[in-house]
Amino acid sequence: MRDKLPLGLLILMGVLGLTSRFIPHPVGEGMNAYLRDTLLRIISAFALILGLGNLLLRHTHKLEHKEPGWPHSIALIAGFVVTAVIGLLGGVSGEGPLPTAIGSFKFDITTIYNRVLIPLGATMFSLLAFYMASAAYRSFRAKSWLAALLLISAFVVMLGQVPLGGQISPIIPQISQWIMEVPNTAAKRGIELGITLGVLATTLKILAGIERSWLGSSK
Amino acid sequence: MNWAKLTQIDRRIIFITVGLAILIPLIFPIRMPVGTQRVTKHLFQAVEEIDPQEQVLLLSCDYAPQTEAENQPMTVAVLRHCFARRLPVLINALYVEGAPLLDLAMHQVMDEFNAHAKANADSILYGRDVVYLGWQPPPIVPILSMGRSIKGIYPVDYYLTPMDSLPLMTGVHNYDQVGLVLAITPLASPLWYVMYARTKFGVKVGAGCTAVCAPDFYPYCRSGQLLGMMAGMKGAAEYEELVENEYHPGGRRRATEGMASQSAAHLLMMFFVIIGNIAYFSTRRKS
Amino acid sequence: MTLGDTIWIWIGALLTFAMLSFLYKDNPLYRFGEHLFVGVSNGWSLAFMYSRVIKPVMIQPFGEACRIAGHEGLKPELFNPVAHANFLVIIPGLIGCLYFTRFITGMTWLVRIPIGIFMGYYAGLAVPATFEGSVFPQMKDTIITRGYFAGTPTGSLWAGICALIILVGVLGTLTYFYFSKEHKGPLQWGSRVGIVFVMIGFGASFGFTVMARVSLAIGRFAFLLHDWLRVIS
Repeated sequence: MRDKLPLGLLILMGVLGLTSRFIPHPVGEGMNAYLRDTLLRIISAFALILGLGNLLLRHTHKLEHKEPGWPHSIALIAGFVVTAVIGLLGGVSGEGPLPTAIGSFKFDITTIYNRVLIPLGATMFSLLAFYMASAAYRSFRAKSWLAALLLISAFVVMLGQVPLGGQISPIIPQISQWIMEVPNTAAKRGIELGITLGVLATTLKILAGIERSWLGSSK
Repeated sequence: MNWAKLTQIDRRIIFITVGLAILIPLIFPIRMPVGTQRVTKHLFQAVEEIDPQEQVLLLSCDYAPQTEAENQPMTVAVLRHCFARRLPVLINALYVEGAPLLDLAMHQVMDEFNAHAKANADSILYGRDVVYLGWQPPPIVPILSMGRSIKGIYPVDYYLTPMDSLPLMTGVHNYDQVGLVLAITPLASPLWYVMYARTKFGVKVGAGCTAVCAPDFYPYCRSGQLLGMMAGMKGAAEYEELVENEYHPGGRRRATEGMASQSAAHLLMMFFVIIGNIAYFSTRRKS
Repeated sequence: MTLGDTIWIWIGALLTFAMLSFLYKDNPLYRFGEHLFVGVSNGWSLAFMYSRVIKPVMIQPFGEACRIAGHEGLKPELFNPVAHANFLVIIPGLIGCLYFTRFITGMTWLVRIPIGIFMGYYAGLAVPATFEGSVFPQMKDTIITRGYFAGTPTGSLWAGICALIILVGVLGTLTYFYFSKEHKGPLQWGSRVGIVFVMIGFGASFGFTVMARVSLAIGRFAFLLHDWLRVIS
């Protein structure tokens, strides 16, 4: 029962999803529309709530037991609670009952997003540029002719993708474009075909009930 | 030269050098012609070919603040193009993390155009010229459901306004009225549109993607499944230049501003790789 | 620019420096920014998801059905799954609640039900879409026809040569990643050709990745110079 019921539901839903493409009948279309637009939409929303709940549980546990780094969990929980309260009571577009401005200082959830989330998120990812430079300096070695080929291709593309390359010589952007449109396309297409066929094989094994690792442990 | 010491250089010196390579060209800009790749020209042409009286453009974005620097200029450039052509636009977000960014882009470009407008006919009006559909999870649901009915999956817009009250939506029902879906993404949403929307409903698809995933989309551009593509910040700069040369909408061109810094940083990266290799081979030869 | 806007720009700049401080070394300021990002991001997601999905798709229809049932009694229309007001909308909510059984000892197996439903439908949807949208068109484009070499707007000798290179490259790449047989004879030559294309492709990907990462840093510095310091206009 613990395995058979979920497996049965997976196979049933898999067949419905598979056949939805081949049955243009209005009844079939209507049923699939209901499955997608209502059933699965609500289930996916609860999956998000599960993720949020898990995160909060983890950090409240950290706070209770004073695990290493526990003060930062206060920032996380406080940020979450304040934003969630402002968003739920103040409304996403400011349509809620909670006032979200003091004079010219607005603190509605969209302002918090634009003024807090964007600087934090964008800066976090911008650090990669610096680490990439450090890695390029320390690790990228042309130890074989294939590695040298990789680096030459990278250099041509890096130069061709910036205006400076065109200023040095008009042929650099053309070669860079050719590299992207021909050998890169060939390599990516081969890799993509291989990955796609592999994923399809695994998907069909899951739908057929042969691959059951998604069920987790038997407890 | 002590190559062994050079290989052990403190990485913070490398960080400072990269920072300066980006900062200095921003403060003292050097304008260079951006040049245009074929894939960007094809995308521009695809948007040009949409008849504004018959069809709309669907701008579908799923980027978040993390890739805002690359993707937001693309959204702004496309909106400028559409507003300059009076091409009606529908915008939707496939991921919740990026939803307000599209609101920001839309209002920025609307304000730019309306600052020069003299009457309603010149202005860009929300509801008549552009509608922000909002966000619905998971991503595949709106991609498939819009083939049947856009109002079915988006009964209200991002601002909770009923769709039936928006003039633009009286004539737009599903993909039949969409001339092109332009998916701006750091992920694979153009491919989702190709696999689910294009194969089932025949809608045309274009892409605007971060440079990380751009190489993976070239095979789809070659096969014609993607009509064109903006690849990274350079692609955004190219599109900005195409729009500016054709329509002169004005406005800040963030991607073009960054091209000098991009050039400097790329040169620096190449320099680091070359010096690192020289140092490595010199120390190897000595030992 | 209002006082409120100025305050927020300074907050944004300080948060940017807090994150950039990680370049010097890992420090509490960076950790604070990191945790704040996760908290605010999830708070935003919860608020938006509730107002745009849970409330309009589940709570409002169920509430409307209860209201109608209270005034007019139970009617068959209230059990129509596609009607605006209906009781059946609570069923996906209950299935979604099964996600939380993973925290209840002895009932954790129930979490497999919503996972199975969700994964099964989208897996089934993906199979024909992937064949029709990815595998077959990509294979079709790899096959060379005379049209590539013809003197047409899209064909020429050079276009034909490029198409031939792509065909050789795709076959070589697939051969390189074929591990079911030892690479001997024709397979060995195929895989050698394939690795050349793979290396060129990875080099191109590296070049683009550098461009992507640098672009993100440019965006942040542009914010500091344009919005905060107003050094550039």
